[in-house]
Amino acid sequence: MSGTSACFHCGEPVDRPGRWVATVGGAERDMCCAGCKAVAEAIVAAGLDDYYRTRSAPAAGAAIVPPALAALEVYDDAAVQARFVRSGEAGCEATLMVDGLRCGACAWLLEQGLRRRPGVEAASVNLATGRAVLRWNPATTRLSSLLDAIGRLGYRALPFDPREREAQIQRTTKAMFRRLFIAGLGMMQVMMYAVPVYVAGPGEIEWQHESLLRWASLLLTLPVMLYSASPFFAGAWRDLRARSVGMDVPVVIGLVAAFVASVRATVVGHGEVYFDSVTMFVFLLLAARYLEWIARRRAGRAIDALAAAIPDAVERVDRASGEIERVAATRLAPGELFRVAVGERIPVDAAIVEGRTAIDQSLLTGESLPVARAPGDEVPGGAINAGTPVLMRVLRTSADSAISTIERLVDRASADKPRLAGLAERIARWFVAALLLLAGGVWLAWLQIEPARAAHIAIAVLVVSCPCALSMATPAALAAATGAAMRRGMLVARGDALEQVAACTDVVFDKTGTLTHGRPELVRVAVFADGPEGAARARALSIAASLESGQAHPLADAIRRAAGGTAQLPAAPDDCETLPGMGVEGVVDGERYRIGSTAFVAAWHPALAQAGADPAAAGDTLVWLASRSAPIARLHLRDQLRDEARRVCDALTAAGLRLHLLSGDRDAAVAQVAGALGIEAAVADASPARKLEYVRALQDEGRRVLMIGDGINDAPVLAAADVSVAVGQATSLARTAAAVVLLGGSLDELTALRTLALRARSIVRANLGWALAYNLVAIPAAAAGWVPPWLAAIGMSTSSLLVVLNALRLIPAASRSATPPAGAAPAAGLRPTAAQPGAAAHGSP
Amino acid sequence: MTYNYKVVRQFAVMTVVWGAVGMLVGVWIAAQLAWPQLNFDIPWITYSRLRPLHTNAVIFAFGGSALFATSYFVVQRTCQVPLFAPRLAAFSFWGWQLVIVAAAVTLPLGMSTTKEYAELEWPIDVLIAAVWVAYAIVFFGTIAKRKTPHIYVANWFFGAYVITIAVLHIVNSAALPVTWTKSYSVYAGVQDAMVQWWYGHNAVGFFLTAGFLGMMYYFIPKQAERPVYSYRLSIVHFWALIFTYMWAGPHHLHYTALPDWAQSIGMVFSLILLAPSWGGMINGIMTLSGAWHKLRDDPILKFLVVSLSFYGMSTFEGPMMSIKTVNALSHYTDWTVGHVHSGALGWVGFITMGSIYYLMPRLFGRTQMHSVRLIEVHFWVATIGVVLYIAAMWIAGVTQGLMWRATNPDGTLTYAFVESLKATYPYYYIRVAGGLLYLAGMLIMLYNCLMTIREGKAIDAEVPGAAVAHA
Amino acid sequence: MEALYLLIPLSLAIIALAAWIFLRMSDSGQFDDMDAPAHSILLDEDLPAPMDITPEGEAPRPHDPPSRDA
Repeated sequence: MSGTSACFHCGEPVDRPGRWVATVGGAERDMCCAGCKAVAEAIVAAGLDDYYRTRSAPAAGAAIVPPALAALEVYDDAAVQARFVRSGEAGCEATLMVDGLRCGACAWLLEQGLRRRPGVEAASVNLATGRAVLRWNPATTRLSSLLDAIGRLGYRALPFDPREREAQIQRTTKAMFRRLFIAGLGMMQVMMYAVPVYVAGPGEIEWQHESLLRWASLLLTLPVMLYSASPFFAGAWRDLRARSVGMDVPVVIGLVAAFVASVRATVVGHGEVYFDSVTMFVFLLLAARYLEWIARRRAGRAIDALAAAIPDAVERVDRASGEIERVAATRLAPGELFRVAVGERIPVDAAIVEGRTAIDQSLLTGESLPVARAPGDEVPGGAINAGTPVLMRVLRTSADSAISTIERLVDRASADKPRLAGLAERIARWFVAALLLLAGGVWLAWLQIEPARAAHIAIAVLVVSCPCALSMATPAALAAATGAAMRRGMLVARGDALEQVAACTDVVFDKTGTLTHGRPELVRVAVFADGPEGAARARALSIAASLESGQAHPLADAIRRAAGGTAQLPAAPDDCETLPGMGVEGVVDGERYRIGSTAFVAAWHPALAQAGADPAAAGDTLVWLASRSAPIARLHLRDQLRDEARRVCDALTAAGLRLHLLSGDRDAAVAQVAGALGIEAAVADASPARKLEYVRALQDEGRRVLMIGDGINDAPVLAAADVSVAVGQATSLARTAAAVVLLGGSLDELTALRTLALRARSIVRANLGWALAYNLVAIPAAAAGWVPPWLAAIGMSTSSLLVVLNALRLIPAASRSATPPAGAAPAAGLRPTAAQPGAAAHGSP
Repeated sequence: MTYNYKVVRQFAVMTVVWGAVGMLVGVWIAAQLAWPQLNFDIPWITYSRLRPLHTNAVIFAFGGSALFATSYFVVQRTCQVPLFAPRLAAFSFWGWQLVIVAAAVTLPLGMSTTKEYAELEWPIDVLIAAVWVAYAIVFFGTIAKRKTPHIYVANWFFGAYVITIAVLHIVNSAALPVTWTKSYSVYAGVQDAMVQWWYGHNAVGFFLTAGFLGMMYYFIPKQAERPVYSYRLSIVHFWALIFTYMWAGPHHLHYTALPDWAQSIGMVFSLILLAPSWGGMINGIMTLSGAWHKLRDDPILKFLVVSLSFYGMSTFEGPMMSIKTVNALSHYTDWTVGHVHSGALGWVGFITMGSIYYLMPRLFGRTQMHSVRLIEVHFWVATIGVVLYIAAMWIAGVTQGLMWRATNPDGTLTYAFVESLKATYPYYYIRVAGGLLYLAGMLIMLYNCLMTIREGKAIDAEVPGAAVAHA
Repeated sequence: MEALYLLIPLSLAIIALAAWIFLRMSDSGQFDDMDAPAHSILLDEDLPAPMDITPEGEAPRPHDPPSRDA
């Protein structure tokens, strides 16, 4: 091997040249250790070796702070750290989300790389969840340099903001798993002691031995009853106190009856014992619920990963000295000055002090076009500066700014929403009543016939009518459906979401970004010059693109995109002046042009202002291009409808659903879209509060509303709707308020979601039907005294198995139809890589 | 800071030595069955006294030393710390060797408890318990002070075997001493039989299975340079084994004075055991997916993978034989001997050989054994030996079973015992041949190891991360 | 089957111990990551630095350059 001494991957010195070698870009490269070699090979195998071509050389520590590190320094700020860093005597501890973990070697490499750094006390990387826990001594090292180190190893780490939810999820998962484990253990051991009794002929086992086996079974069942089954008892107690009957009540009745009877039989010395049925029942039920929980947790985690947002850093300007300091947005106090560059988000409610610009409020209002703002004007936090750099004065802290207000609206809306009972719960109500009556009746009947057997038979009725299938029907189906949905790029985060989707009567659409692509496109160029139209068009476009180069404006983007297809991009114009909210004036190829709004260009050619509106272009945004001498072209830009929008709307209407369109955009645009899609109920200029009102009105009528949207302004109404769906490019807040997130970004997924939900509902109903049928057969048999304990146990497991198998039918159904949507790239933590073929087999944790 | 390779070396070397010794005794007693003259009327080398010497030597001397060597190695490297209490570790070595030597002396002298695999008399039992306590302290102490948060799955298997053997040994060997060389079991009659086979089968299950599975889960991935096929499955496999093994014992006592229902449990749970056992086998074999071609050139991998095939075979055969109707044919025949040896020679032997071949060079500062070709030769010789052995015993066993139960229409037995003996005699010769081949392989291994040691130098590897620039 | 009076309680005690160990381990996060630990042993380098040349005519060592392996 060559005498190179630096590891090709990480840059550290290579102790043993030739020992670890990987082929990258056709050449053999030396690595410093097995970890770097494994990671390099993984990168090449994934076809990502561009990474090595495009990255800069592994940087050594530098006196000059590189810009990337400067951006990370915001994480050293105490206020920012307060959100995700825990401090203790052991140092600071933070949980990070790590992007780019491809396999176990990556996790190992990252751990080793971090542990080596001075000041790091502990570093552990969990490949399955994509999280890293870091503990460091703040006196020795800073978090930003650790994050930088992670970046140099080839990964991206962001602080994970638990919002208590992650901690809660962990606690719940652990508790559920422990209960399941104890139940499983109890079940297996009790089964072992039950089998000899079953296989022995009558009188074959001496009584004292059989008693020993029973006592052993009792001891093993106790923890199952007292610990594993406690959620059922808690749930039943809650239901009874609220005077309703949920699924837990029949479960508890069966368990208590069987257990108490078995304990009595063990102590007294004769009668049947049902310890095996009890433990098996608890285990099966917990297993179904656990699998459902895991499926939902995965979807929720994926959503969390999408929702990561870097805290805003802002350039604060000191009033007195004019010095500029980069600080966290949370630190801004009212009255302070700060600078916002073009394209940056304005983090807090502020007023403009210096500079004229245009702001893009699409995040807040859905309005797709920037509006002009001048010194003195107020700008809401969350808007993007789309014009020129400005100096602003803070009006409200970030906690009180527009975004936060919307966040609070969301919280309130979700708290007020009533929870509707599921189908299973409703069946449970009359099932319990019927069961108790029946058991009572059977007992009385047998008291007349053969009093000695009366109690036993009544117990047998209660045990065999175990609501296993009933109580497992919904969780099993939901687990399968949620997993199937996730594979198709639909993340179902709330348990009842699928049921609600199946039951919805009305669909409310947001416009911008949901029905449309969310950005304007150039749809038409009308040229005024003489001569061949094609050449004139191309020339006009080229001039327009040149004038718009350097503008951070959605319209400018659209024009540049359109021009990019015709010829190579022209050079920036000379002598360029931007008037925010109006247009651009500049010199191209020696001639002076203006491009912009009607008012702007009409200053040169007043006749344009009088030109009648073209009805066909009612919703279009018009951009005029003119030279000093004559108008050259009129460009029509429109936020285009998604191709599939009409198809989807038709399909939903055909299915009997009522469609509504609620948008914050202006009337003309909304009317045009509603007309194109055939939606009758359309509301424009709707504020978040107005949208909420509208949905509430529908709900008061008894309608079930499905809301689909993408912007922050939709967040409150997403929380209030019966079920909410967020579309792929949705902002983080919308995602966390939504019950379902469609990753692929295509509306076709909405119809797919509905199909899946309907299928899940029919499977749940089939399961419930089977459960009822089973009970109709088993209960009379038990009432007649024909069901010994072993038969009860078998019946229980078979009916549960059938329910689960039936639910599994949901899985191929979802993946059989249509290919997974393009761009649905699950986060690194969602599934193991190809290096672990076996681990991805089932939906287990 | 270095790992404690010294005790690993000591045990690894003795594994090979005792292996040769135990197998030599095995061949000798097989020969005695074929040619009884070889007893020479000398009590100390009579078959009856040498057989327990053979079983103890191969199980505890050979197998035990291998388990000590590999568990001490694996626990150190996966926890990234040297052994806890190195003096106790040294005591465990010398104590264990003393146990073996004591066995080699007392068993030919006829001092025996007569309990199978627990023949050693009470003073040696006490020494075993002392060594075992030291072993547990060293092993669990090392895990307690580990640098890696996660405990690798192999250590779970090792840990379970250490704890369980301690319990089994103490409970089963409970005895009332009468003299220094004689004691009486505290259990009597069929109770003793129940306890004995509860011990006997769990000893197989935890000593010969769980412990060696620990070996498998480490050395197969290391040699194949592939991760375990499904790590999750290995954890599930472990717990499933722990919770189902306890009741298989009675299948040794079918059609005896043991109550029928107790025999039935034994049967049912032996059958249930098939699932977790095969789960482990599949996990190990599939670890090679994507690397099957390595089997062509790597004889160490051949040993390791073929051992799993024998493991699968034995763990299928065993449950089959525990079914009462099958057992009615097989009990007391040579089929049982064949079953034991397919597991012992095929599974335990091969996985040990593969692991020792992996270990030996590293313990002596080499990157490979003195001769890789000799490993290949060993493999083929040993495999042929195993196949001859078990095929011979299957045929003999079934023949015996069929002949013993054949009855005439009037109800009398068709064959006299000596006739079945005559019929199965030829297979005893074949068994000797098979055993000789297996022993030859072991001697090749002994030679290969001695040469490797001679060419190498005893080293202790550095613990990584202590003072190094990078891993 | 008086032996059962010993064996069954003993078995229960062992099961309780095993369950307790399992829960303790689960609490300390042993079962949180089921993917990475399989790799960690592979990344532990236990071969000593080569001291001499490979004897001629022998089979490839397990750690030969990747071009010959998968």
